[in-house]
Amino acid sequence: MRTTLPLIITFIVGVFMLGEFFIPHWYYQHIKTLVLEFGTVIAGVAFLLGVINLTQVNLPRVLERQPDWIYKAIMLGSMVVTTFFGFWEAGPRMEDGMVYKWLFDFLLVPLNATMFSLLAFYIASAAFRAFRARNAEATVLLVAACIVMLARVPIGEQIPVIGSYLSVFQNWLMDVPNVAARRAIFVGAALGAIATGVRIILGIERSHLGSD
Amino acid sequence: MKRTPAFPILPAFPLLFASLLWALPAGAQDAPTGEAAEAAPAVDETESETAAEGEAVPAAEKVAFKEVAPTLTVIAPDNGSGLHLKLDWTITTAADNKIAVVRSAKSPNGPWTIAKTGLSPDKLTYTDKVTDDVSKNPPADHYWYRVVVLPKDFKVTKEITGDAIVAAAIRSVAGEGDTVAHWFKNIPGIWLLLALIVSVTGMIFFFTHQVRQGNEIKIRRIPGIDAIEEGIGRATEMGRPVLYVPGIDSLEDIQTIASMLILGEVSKTIAEYQTDVIVSCCVPIVREVADEVVKSGYYRAGHPDAFDPTSVRFIASDQFAFCAGTNGIMHRQKPATNIYLGRFFAESLILAETGYVNQSIQIAGTAEATQLPFFIAACDYTLIGEELFAVSAYLSQDARLVSSLKASDWVKIATVGLLVIGTVTVSLGFNFIPPLFQLAGG
Repeated sequence: MRTTLPLIITFIVGVFMLGEFFIPHWYYQHIKTLVLEFGTVIAGVAFLLGVINLTQVNLPRVLERQPDWIYKAIMLGSMVVTTFFGFWEAGPRMEDGMVYKWLFDFLLVPLNATMFSLLAFYIASAAFRAFRARNAEATVLLVAACIVMLARVPIGEQIPVIGSYLSVFQNWLMDVPNVAARRAIFVGAALGAIATGVRIILGIERSHLGSD
Repeated sequence: MKRTPAFPILPAFPLLFASLLWALPAGAQDAPTGEAAEAAPAVDETESETAAEGEAVPAAEKVAFKEVAPTLTVIAPDNGSGLHLKLDWTITTAADNKIAVVRSAKSPNGPWTIAKTGLSPDKLTYTDKVTDDVSKNPPADHYWYRVVVLPKDFKVTKEITGDAIVAAAIRSVAGEGDTVAHWFKNIPGIWLLLALIVSVTGMIFFFTHQVRQGNEIKIRRIPGIDAIEEGIGRATEMGRPVLYVPGIDSLEDIQTIASMLILGEVSKTIAEYQTDVIVSCCVPIVREVADEVVKSGYYRAGHPDAFDPTSVRFIASDQFAFCAGTNGIMHRQKPATNIYLGRFFAESLILAETGYVNQSIQIAGTAEATQLPFFIAACDYTLIGEELFAVSAYLSQDARLVSSLKASDWVKIATVGLLVIGTVTVSLGFNFIPPLFQLAGG
């Protein structure tokens, strides 16, 4: 029963949700929306569990002064302060002059921007490794990348002789080989997704249920 | 062990092609089927005394008018949900007037509800959603409409009612129509999708039957999947944990679901090796599922006591906060192996480069085409697209799961064949294949 009931529920809900693609009737779509709302409610409750998990993982390490406990203390403190002002200021919390908005605008947004900006440096280091011409494939990648990069910066057009052709090469690279490869990935992934979905709905895939 | 025949009789293929043949004539239908109720263009022209055309319209615009009898047709779209009606009208008006659409479910004379306001005079069609909340206000079977021309100085405010709009109309045209709700979306693309699903299902059962009769199904080696066990072994030797990141998307995404299935097998192997695992989650519901999956993996491996409840962690639901937290785990706990399987976005390279700096073995897999180059550049092994969905079958070697790989491969061959046929036929000027790949419309 421990695995049979979940399998039955998975089958019924899976087939029902699959019907969304085939049955346009408003009543069916309405029931589907209700089922999705159940999911939203469950996800909301899971947020609470997430907060509990954060506390369970980090609080003992702070209390025991384990290595790097200070980071965990800052994280827990930030969570408590933000949650407090979120509830305290309630509806107008995102209006000017509110502490919650200040926390959002002057802490979260800059920190997010900082993390995102790291991407520029990581792209440079990853590109350096990827573009080393170790073999024929890597050399093709290097040449293609150089053409695309040069064609997308103003200086590319100034290069004598080839400058005017760069954008043509670039467009061809992006529109033909690139799109072909991407579509091949999409088709394969879509069929893989269908097969995975069928496996789960039919109960063939059950490793997540712990039954062998 | 026998090998499966190279070209087995595939039970579902006839289904696929039969449905294609069935669907083709439907795709050739260019004209609407006319199932929807079409109202007789009941014209109800109400001329306001204040707006005699000759007075209100400049001479130059009068020339532009093509005087036609106002008409309004109201039809339900093909394969519709029963919530929409498509209105097409002809009505002449000055360029600076505005047009509004009102509807009534009660009678041809109202009461009127505003369907749309602020339409420009050159707009001659509008698809109306008859209700926004079906639980409180379910759609009626029949609706009456009026398309009205409003004076240029008429202000539509929140307090304005549909009846007030009708009363202020310079002129209007009336029409009516039935809503039609369909229980099946009868378009070729849907039939193809159905055929694909039935084909995959049929072939899974067929190949499972073949395997049970002693035939062997051969799966090509996928180095990235083989490397997962090697990575876990390396982590065991080094006495460091394995970091598993199931992407940052929610549980509804098929890649996250696939990642959870893989986590079941990976955690079982990790438990067998008696190594530590850290699962870093961005979505709370994913963490809850991952917790159960890892627990069951330890249970199946026969080491339920070795499961550490704090090993599956919710980090943060914000993308970059999650990324920072996971990078912190990499820097502080130095996992020997990082496994990124699921749906990733901009954080993919930040995670993978941090892992590279830490000299971890890195195995990534995603069907997100935009992130694949980053993983390929920064990770030791990358599972591309469909390989992600094959991992759990590959690791478990379960006959039925392996059968599903074979089934999806055969459907892929059929799809590629269809694409080739489509390319050739479209090049020759025959356009009956492209509609098969459209799921929208009707």
